[in-house]
Amino acid sequence: MAKDRLAEVLERYEAVIGLEIHTELTSLKSKMFCGCPVEFGGEPNTRVCPVCLGLPGALPVPNEAAVEATVLAGLAVNCDIALWSQFHRKQYFYPDMPKDYQISQYDLPFCSGGYLDVEVDGADEYTTHIGVTRIHLEEDTGKMVHVGGAEGRIAGAEKSFVDFNRAGTPLMELVSEPDIRTPEEARRFAQKLRLIMLALGVSDCSMEEGSMRVDGNISIRLHGETELGTKSEVKNMNSFKALHDALAYEIVRQADLVDAGGRVVQETRHWDAGAKRTSTLRSKEEAHDYRYFPEPDMVPFAFTEEWVESIAERLPELPDAMCERFMTTWELPKHGATVLTSDLAMAVFFETTVAEAGEARAKSVANVMLNDFSAHLNADGVAVDESLVKPSMVAELVGLVDDGAISSKQAKEVFSAMAETGEMPAVIVEARGMKQVSDIVAIEAVVDAVIAASPNEVASYRGGKVGLIGWFVGQVMREMRGQGNPQVVNEVLRKKLG
Amino acid sequence: MSISQSDVRHVALLARLALTDEQVASLQTELNSILGHIDELQGLDLADVQPTAHALEVTNSTRPDAVKPCLPRELALLNAPEAEGGAFVIPAFGETGEDA
Amino acid sequence: MIDLSALSATDIRDGITAKRFSAREVAAAAFAHIDALEPAIHAFNQLTPELAAQAADRIDAMAAAGEELPPLAGVPAGIKDNMNLVGTRTTCSAKILANYESVYDCTAVRRLLDAGALPVGKCNLDEFAFGSSTENSAFGPTRNPWDIERVPGGSSGGSAACVAVGMVTVSLGSDTGGSIRQPGALTGTVAMKPTYGRVSRYGCVAFASSLDQIGPFAHNVRDAALVLNTIAGKDEMDATSVTESVPDFTATLSDGVKGLRVGIVRDMLELEGLAPEVKASVEAAAERYAALGAEVDDVEIPAARHGLSAYYIIGPAEASSNLARFDGIRYGHRVDDAIDVLDLYMRSRAEGFGPESIRRIMLGTYALSAGYYDAYYGQAQKARTLIIEDFAKAFERYDVLLTPTSPEVAFKIGEKSTDPLAMYLSDVFTIPLNLAGLPGISVPCGLSEGLPIGLQVIGRHFDEATMLRAAAALEADLTLDMTPALAKGGLDG
Ligand SMILES: [Mg+2]
Ligand SMILES: [Zn+2]
Repeated sequence: MAKDRLAEVLERYEAVIGLEIHTELTSLKSKMFCGCPVEFGGEPNTRVCPVCLGLPGALPVPNEAAVEATVLAGLAVNCDIALWSQFHRKQYFYPDMPKDYQISQYDLPFCSGGYLDVEVDGADEYTTHIGVTRIHLEEDTGKMVHVGGAEGRIAGAEKSFVDFNRAGTPLMELVSEPDIRTPEEARRFAQKLRLIMLALGVSDCSMEEGSMRVDGNISIRLHGETELGTKSEVKNMNSFKALHDALAYEIVRQADLVDAGGRVVQETRHWDAGAKRTSTLRSKEEAHDYRYFPEPDMVPFAFTEEWVESIAERLPELPDAMCERFMTTWELPKHGATVLTSDLAMAVFFETTVAEAGEARAKSVANVMLNDFSAHLNADGVAVDESLVKPSMVAELVGLVDDGAISSKQAKEVFSAMAETGEMPAVIVEARGMKQVSDIVAIEAVVDAVIAASPNEVASYRGGKVGLIGWFVGQVMREMRGQGNPQVVNEVLRKKLG
Repeated sequence: MSISQSDVRHVALLARLALTDEQVASLQTELNSILGHIDELQGLDLADVQPTAHALEVTNSTRPDAVKPCLPRELALLNAPEAEGGAFVIPAFGETGEDA
Repeated sequence: MIDLSALSATDIRDGITAKRFSAREVAAAAFAHIDALEPAIHAFNQLTPELAAQAADRIDAMAAAGEELPPLAGVPAGIKDNMNLVGTRTTCSAKILANYESVYDCTAVRRLLDAGALPVGKCNLDEFAFGSSTENSAFGPTRNPWDIERVPGGSSGGSAACVAVGMVTVSLGSDTGGSIRQPGALTGTVAMKPTYGRVSRYGCVAFASSLDQIGPFAHNVRDAALVLNTIAGKDEMDATSVTESVPDFTATLSDGVKGLRVGIVRDMLELEGLAPEVKASVEAAAERYAALGAEVDDVEIPAARHGLSAYYIIGPAEASSNLARFDGIRYGHRVDDAIDVLDLYMRSRAEGFGPESIRRIMLGTYALSAGYYDAYYGQAQKARTLIIEDFAKAFERYDVLLTPTSPEVAFKIGEKSTDPLAMYLSDVFTIPLNLAGLPGISVPCGLSEGLPIGLQVIGRHFDEATMLRAAAALEADLTLDMTPALAKGGLDG
């Protein structure tokens, strides 16, 4: 659906978007309430036990590391941490939910009242403040495979297979305020949250494998209107692009509906990335009755300020702070700093390289990484740590250029060789005989020869055609097969031509 | 408060119980008589009383993040009404759709 | 053949140690007794002679090797059929679990067997422990050994009856509102509910998680204390089990009650529906305590009168949630002609649950449903607070409290089965303890027309020791013969 169509709609209507983001705590060893390992996939029902299968008599015992990770995440997005909290049971029947209730949190979540400031660049760059209503901890469900239906969808399936390997995986749910106004803001919010979770090391945040799942609540209203319109909830947005496109589609769909005199119905819709459209998953006309009540198999959580402090001390440097630091410490431009800190591996690579190359060369290191290195990663489709290029190589390469051992033009050639072979730059330079001649004596000899061989040009240069200097440089360089140091050649020529 | 037969049917759906008309009728009577007794609680002024979910004042009961052995799959599926390829098998979905 | 009725748990252990008899012989005696009496009583849903034989062989091997035997070595034990034990079915006396095979062990059962007990069988109960008569069993009622036309109480009626008639020496029951103590009273056994959290609930199919507690049945207070010794203590598999240190509960049993401050809960004795002979017997017991040197005085627990109402909200509410998992997906009864998942849920559950289970699930679901939570569950939780506070006040002045265990002696089978409310009243004295998490023990204090009467002794949180000492003192003073005729002379005894 065309971008300008969305722009046109957003001129007439204001979109009101809130996100619900579920993140599996994949970095934990064991599940939320039992000792089964947290892993992805595997043979069905091979990572289950009486607890996560909901067998009669089994009891849940909360994983303390999951509680700590959730509090850590809450602190990272500026939430208040509740000193008194507890789990509740959220009750509804579903075949992939072993106990037919989900142990979740209700009115006493661990974290609430946070926010994220999200930068949206482009034509008019701006920052928007998006509230985080709450972050609570719960257990993930199992998985179902529907057979006989259309591409694994529930609709029309003859029967389904249920696998509980994922059941009980620690799941953190973040609910945003409806402060988001465009699909782009939503994407930026989700991307920034992902960076933070990765920095905290609590999850691998893979939207493909479903360890990060984003659902959106969307409604539209006329600008200036304060009442909220009827919202629809969109699920199955398995990438940041899908998130953007699905929200954009839904906003336009609602606008068209209203323009045509229709009304938006409250429902859950399914994003079909292939067909690039959303379709009704189920109607939520009759609201659920989850019958929440305090989980009687567990006791409440009483945190002390000191304990929360001790968790806060574990907070690593978050992306925003790191970007700031890169700009001030290394005097990098905002864009460069943002790119370098948008991927933790990239940032670590940069700082390791600078440590080796010396702080004075930070800028040169940044240039190589933002240009040659990034280009190589994209072209070869490899991740930072998969690349044959290592910090020590980039450090050495930058050194060779700064020392004038090779020209920056040659550096590009050396880099691509590095990326292919994984050899150290010095080795490559040596092997290709690329060493640049800066030795005055050697250069003077060539310059003398050129001058002697070109009396007419010398005459006209001395006669005032100083533009000829370029021609002389060219002659000298040709004699030296390009290996003369341009600056030195220039100086010697000017001196001798006087 | 007294329960109507449609209340009984609504609650039966929430609880996933297919009741016969006879059961609905007798449950309406029984639940109303039980609630009739329980309604004495409505008379109490408990406005400033804290509710108790757990009789003992115990807090922060957790376990360390450690892996324990899982059930062998044969045992996980031992009581399964229907299983295939290591998975539990269920029939087609109606509009039961709900999720986490 | 050994006469088990004459032997305490310790007698059995010592007898095996002294090679007077073997654990195998003990098991044989128990099963011979069961063969004779089980048809009349129906205390068991499943007998486990193989498991008992294996356990007996382990004990006899230890004895032969001259090793020190564990505290319950060779002691025949019954296990309520809502507790998991690998090698048995765990049915909860429900059609929906009729063929359910345990794949893991209940912690309390594991501890009992690790202490040397012989697992004789799984005891009948009211379906999912919903009841006070063991009539609500999908496999038929259990009968009271004192009069097989009468109920043994419930829900742990099978666990109570098999001890009362001497088929086993001890048994485990579970108590959510009186399900150990009330059948204890009706069968003349010693029956206790420990402090909430004292014994792990892991592996015991949950009724109401915040009220359930596993406890022992025995012929005497000492055996009950011995069993508590073995099953008590923190379990990492139960977040509500506590780290409180576990004393040797047998150590102070014979210290007497001189100077002990005993409160008789007067307002409970004024409760209508309390049979006069029960009231008289309890007051007589209180006088015995005074005679034994205790300071006996009246105390009131006004909030306890709201116990029944609070319990019939909180219990069913938690039960409705705990029983959701019986959905025919992973285990349990499933209709074979379901057209879709909803149909599978609706009919499998309606077919699999008995009338009382359906009643409680409906009541609890209603009490938690939108719009009613505050009026029912919320209000019940607040009433629960008042009850806790009243007991706390009483325990500032008293070391133990006394009430009847049951308002009346064993009633006739069928007498109350058509009137839920009348049945619920059976637990009016026991329910407040579950709501307050307090320990309570029912100890025989008399007989009325050949039917046992039980006294409930209530202790402070985690002070089971004092409670057991008080119970032991009365037991020693009364020296009642609590062996039903049936156990002595067979059916026409
Ligand atoms: Mg959720
Ligand atoms: Zn598990």
